[in-house]
Amino acid sequence: MIEVKDLVKRYGDTAAVNHVSFQIHPGEIVGFLGPNGAGKSTTLRIMTGFLPPTAGEVFVGDHSAQEDTKAVRRLIGYLPENNPLYEDLRVREYLAFRATLKGIPRKARKGRIQEVLEACEVTEVKDRIIGACSKGFRQRIGLADALLANPPVLILDEPTVGLDPVQIVHTRSLIKTLSADHTVILSTHILPEVEAICSRALILHHGALLYDGPVSELRQGLGGEAGGLLCTVSADAEAARRCLEGVEGVERVERLATAEGPPRFHILTAQGKDAREGIFRACAAAGLPLLELSVQQVSLEEAFLSIMTQENSSEVLS
Amino acid sequence: MRAVMAIARKELTSYFFAPMAYIVIAAFLLMNGFIFSVILAALSQPGAFSAQPMLLFFGGTTFFWIFMIVMTPVITMKLGAEERKTGTIETLMTAPVSDLEVVLGKYLGAMALYVAAWLPTVLYAWVLTAYSKVDVGPVISGYLGVLLVGLFFIAIGLFTSLVSKNQVVAAMLCFAILLVLILISILTFLVTDPFWKPILQYVDLWSIMQGFAKGVVDSRSVVYCLSGTALFLALGYQAMQTRRWR
Repeated sequence: MIEVKDLVKRYGDTAAVNHVSFQIHPGEIVGFLGPNGAGKSTTLRIMTGFLPPTAGEVFVGDHSAQEDTKAVRRLIGYLPENNPLYEDLRVREYLAFRATLKGIPRKARKGRIQEVLEACEVTEVKDRIIGACSKGFRQRIGLADALLANPPVLILDEPTVGLDPVQIVHTRSLIKTLSADHTVILSTHILPEVEAICSRALILHHGALLYDGPVSELRQGLGGEAGGLLCTVSADAEAARRCLEGVEGVERVERLATAEGPPRFHILTAQGKDAREGIFRACAAAGLPLLELSVQQVSLEEAFLSIMTQENSSEVLS
Repeated sequence: MRAVMAIARKELTSYFFAPMAYIVIAAFLLMNGFIFSVILAALSQPGAFSAQPMLLFFGGTTFFWIFMIVMTPVITMKLGAEERKTGTIETLMTAPVSDLEVVLGKYLGAMALYVAAWLPTVLYAWVLTAYSKVDVGPVISGYLGVLLVGLFFIAIGLFTSLVSKNQVVAAMLCFAILLVLILISILTFLVTDPFWKPILQYVDLWSIMQGFAKGVVDSRSVVYCLSGTALFLALGYQAMQTRRWR
């Protein structure tokens, strides 16, 4: 669906995007990750044909984003960063204007606007002037605009920035619904967002592509060593520690700081060993009630940091 | 064409949603009405030279040109500059529209406001018919002149707005270009050099407007205004194109 070939974008001497290549297949929902200034927005802008690349090519469908811009724009619904809107128009006027620009036939326009208003839950402000709408509504108006022509590809640049937690949940679930019949590319610097919505992650840092793969592997493969186990035992801390340390496969037991209640431990196990069953039996045998036993998940933040630090150290080496 | 009309309508709607259109039109009509009554009063004086009031009204006074060089940048300054400043240029230019459609749409929208500001002045001519005999021909050609000069000036304003990111800069730039065009009239009056005089006369907007107001539709004047319009529209289009290569 989308092919990015060896994309380079320079501003003067600094390379905002540095030899980035990837492909996105129809129906995928891809998260573009990276800290601010990593080159996410620049890459997305080139993909929409808004910015010309310094070198490299982008194809959407079979069209070059540089040469056949108009055809590419027809395939894409784009929500730019900061979601710029015409402040002085009413919501429905704005959408009517955008629908005309996008070539939606006059007859279908009204119905389609109604549909996107409902899908994005902005019907209640449809007669309001955009400048008077809250940030949450504005963001969803931008999203409604991106959806108008029902394009096969949606490119959303930081769609949840500035929203409150409830709106974030709404927007994410909306995007997830959309992914059923759209190819979605969204950029964010919030890792759990990618985890919540995306099937695939692309990580950009200093304009270079650091990771391209499934989100699930991002967690396992790049988190470094396994996270270990978390265990809470309703007993005296020392007795519990002795019991846990005695289990086969357990290498180290650390007590975690808890404000009150029973002691909680972080248990590191030997590589490839699953000590969970042993822990259960040991606690049962010692008569210590086991309140919690879980595998610690490596957070995406940790994975992300580890990727970036690896990158930094390799930079130093080379 | 569909996109051009949509953009033109959007621009016109924006004008009327903001207080700007009302301020422009109200100030324009107030000042024009005042000037018109002053012209009438002066011509009604015993011993005043005899002239057609509408002849003075169309470009026959400095006020006409002052309005033109103030009103034009006010109408056009936000057309391109605001889109850049607020970033809406990004949503606009990622919709399936061409640069040319955007330029023409914005131009038409601004022209519509210009025409809307002038339209009520038709009443002045109508009021005159109630009191004296008015020759309709020169009035019509006068309005043709107003339209042609408007086409030219609005094209200049659109161009300056398309190259600026700041509305004030756009307005000042437009103001400066228009001022130079008007000052040529004074220069024409002063210059005696046989080489420069005819050239300056060709582009002397003051006498061009006076020609129209007298009922003379000189094809040279029409060509001058239209080619000026085309030139600045082309420059505006070029400004849109080069934006993409940064």
